[in-house]
Amino acid sequence: MSTKRNPAWALAALLATLATQSLSAQGLPITYERLLQADQEPGNWLMYSNTYSGWRFSRLNQITTQNVKNLRVKWMFQGRHLEKFETTPLVVDGVMYLTRPENAIYALDALTGRQLWMYEYRNPERTFNCCGKVNRGLAILGTTLFMNTLDMHVIAIDAKSGRELWKTEMYDHTAAGGYAATGAPLVVKDKVIVGMAGGERGVSGFLDAYDTKTGERLWRFNTIPQPGEANFGTWAGDSWKTGGASTWNTGSYDPETNTLYWGTSNPWPDYNGDFRAGDNLYSCSVLALDADTGKLKWHYQFTPHDLHDWDSTQNPVLIDTEFEGHMRKTIAWPNRNGFFYLLDRTNGKFLSATAFVKQTWNAGFDLEYNGRPKIVPGMDPTPEGTDKVWPGIDGGANWMSHSYSPLTKYLYVFAREERRVFTKNEVQHPTTEPATVANRTGAGAFNRGRAPRFAPEESWGKAIAIDPGTGAIKWEHKVISPPWGGLMSTAGNLVFGGTLEGVIFALNATTGERLWTFASNGPVYGTAISYLAAGKQLVSIPAGDVIVTFALE
Amino acid sequence: MPLYLWICCSVALLTPALRAQTPQNAALAGGAAPVAAIAATNPFSSEADVQQGSALFQTHCAVCHGANGEGGRGADLTVGLYRRGGRDPELYASIRFGIPGTDMAPVRVTDDEVWKLVAFVKRLGSQGLREKAPGDPVAGRRVFQTMGCVVCHSVSKEGGTLGPDLTDVGRRRGLKFLAESLAKPEAEIPIAYRAVEVVLKSGATVTGIRLNRDDLSIQLRDPGDNFRFFLMENVREIRYDKPALMPSYAALDPKDFTDVVAYLNSLKGAQ
Repeated sequence: MSTKRNPAWALAALLATLATQSLSAQGLPITYERLLQADQEPGNWLMYSNTYSGWRFSRLNQITTQNVKNLRVKWMFQGRHLEKFETTPLVVDGVMYLTRPENAIYALDALTGRQLWMYEYRNPERTFNCCGKVNRGLAILGTTLFMNTLDMHVIAIDAKSGRELWKTEMYDHTAAGGYAATGAPLVVKDKVIVGMAGGERGVSGFLDAYDTKTGERLWRFNTIPQPGEANFGTWAGDSWKTGGASTWNTGSYDPETNTLYWGTSNPWPDYNGDFRAGDNLYSCSVLALDADTGKLKWHYQFTPHDLHDWDSTQNPVLIDTEFEGHMRKTIAWPNRNGFFYLLDRTNGKFLSATAFVKQTWNAGFDLEYNGRPKIVPGMDPTPEGTDKVWPGIDGGANWMSHSYSPLTKYLYVFAREERRVFTKNEVQHPTTEPATVANRTGAGAFNRGRAPRFAPEESWGKAIAIDPGTGAIKWEHKVISPPWGGLMSTAGNLVFGGTLEGVIFALNATTGERLWTFASNGPVYGTAISYLAAGKQLVSIPAGDVIVTFALE
Repeated sequence: MPLYLWICCSVALLTPALRAQTPQNAALAGGAAPVAAIAATNPFSSEADVQQGSALFQTHCAVCHGANGEGGRGADLTVGLYRRGGRDPELYASIRFGIPGTDMAPVRVTDDEVWKLVAFVKRLGSQGLREKAPGDPVAGRRVFQTMGCVVCHSVSKEGGTLGPDLTDVGRRRGLKFLAESLAKPEAEIPIAYRAVEVVLKSGATVTGIRLNRDDLSIQLRDPGDNFRFFLMENVREIRYDKPALMPSYAALDPKDFTDVVAYLNSLKGAQ
């Protein structure tokens, strides 16, 4: 471990130790006050990113750079499914709650992995998810768990019994080219905030808030302005009706200003912008919304008129950091388009952007227009396919969680360096009707582009530590494939993650040195969490269709 | 030239574009219906059916499998090898019910249209059926055997395993591809047959076909057909600059070359 501990590090470590020691099993209910102070309960994991700030940082420090080599498998949860396991479990005082594809919920003894109860939601045969029948997790308030479903329902479940309390349909999942909901909800005050997916299917995006008691919808923010609203003119013709801009990952929340931060997806059609001239607001953007009303406070669009499927649905990371000599309240955002952005989260002002992977599309940022990107010509998808564009279709970052450690003050990103081809397809009207020869639908509606046979070593992944104030990359740990899992950092000065080949690893958070590995041999499509069970720190991460849980020997 | 370098034609195997999860526990996942319930031969295989299948393919399949079936997020269908079987009812089941554990979802079309897709997919994967080679396949077979191709390649279960099986390569691959594979083996190497050089920290170098790799270890099949495993902590470098173990046969006598292509084109498989 580094001997150059600065005072802040030592203080934070001390606080973490105290917090660990003072933790007593409070059990349910999880009040909103407890959610606000989730970092005071490091033994629990109370929401998708652990805290409202989106750090995915655990203050537990039993597992350290010194002893992580003794980390061993404690238990496994066998999912016995074949879909990607993207869930982030919640842990409340010794009980783990997790979703399993498609939309099942399990309550487990967090010390042993033994099942307490199971709830299974049956989706209709036809669902319109883009990339697997996945679900990324739950939210909790009081004694109630919240999950959204592939067929666009929000469901409230009693955390003690697994019984269904209410169920609300968000939207007709068969409308347009098909809607789905795959992300983990976020509870703020008495509301559960839920996003939706369908950016590849010509949907019209929105973000919803529901009453946690009744399931009644309290507000909806349309991510595409409706006629008469500001920025409606950023869509040519009728393209606004099918413009995508979904909200399929989880946002963050700043209680100080009661502001919800949420990212939006690509516009539709993904790779063909011919009939949607304009900036296509609020696609590929971060939205700052009033959490009580859903009213827009500000927005910043990372990729105007996107043609590369560069969703901006990453988990927002809220950090106070020094920028050009002054402390700023910022939002840190490693984007799918390959740039790491720093914005002022109080007003959306662009502060800086730095490429963290190879990129070819951007020639700088216009500060007169709040950091609007200057576009390099010739980077649009072509009918025959172009291999001249970096990052690739799945981006430099994707939906996988980033992590921020207040100890190192680094932002950890599991980035993708990937060679791909972008192809412009014919556009069809989106529909979920079964296609016929006469009625050819969907080809343009759901074009993922094609990737010819690039050699595997032309693409790779890298866990990196970014200094948010400068965008400088402080260290890099390379892995052989572009990853689909995220990173978690801990007060033990460790960064945990897993690769597509199933190598689960712990890195020294200060240096990036790899200190421990485990060959799970199942692809990691999720991100680790850490919590206490019987006073011992555990680390859980999905790999293949298993949740693997580790503890010190 | 040592015999072990006589690694012949690099004819592509199915190359899943994603690192696919091995399907297991299909029953638990509520997977495919039994294939036995499906007609044994495709009732929709006329030229008109193939054309309609082509249009349906553009709508439902091209997204992942590419406009010409060349693959992308989904498998390369021009190779004519299918992980879940290439018989009509097997292809029908893969399209109709999807492949559990992968991104291959059930295709939502009518049953008749599934059959038309089957017809078109088989067309994609059988380019050699519509081509007649100009050379003499019998003479080509003699050249094939005397050159030592069988050390690495099998035909009808006879031969080596270091290179792809060629039993039905004449159905799956067109003449142009076959000729290119002979003359320029490195032009297209199926991922399962890529040659790598592992340079160990001890100074030794081991060449072989890359069977698997992660950040901790690499697994090879060496030219002697032995499994070789190495932990990355003992590896200095992995070189990919010679992707084919097979030498080029561009300098072969032109008649022999044409005859070998004709022989390969005559290999239509056991069907």
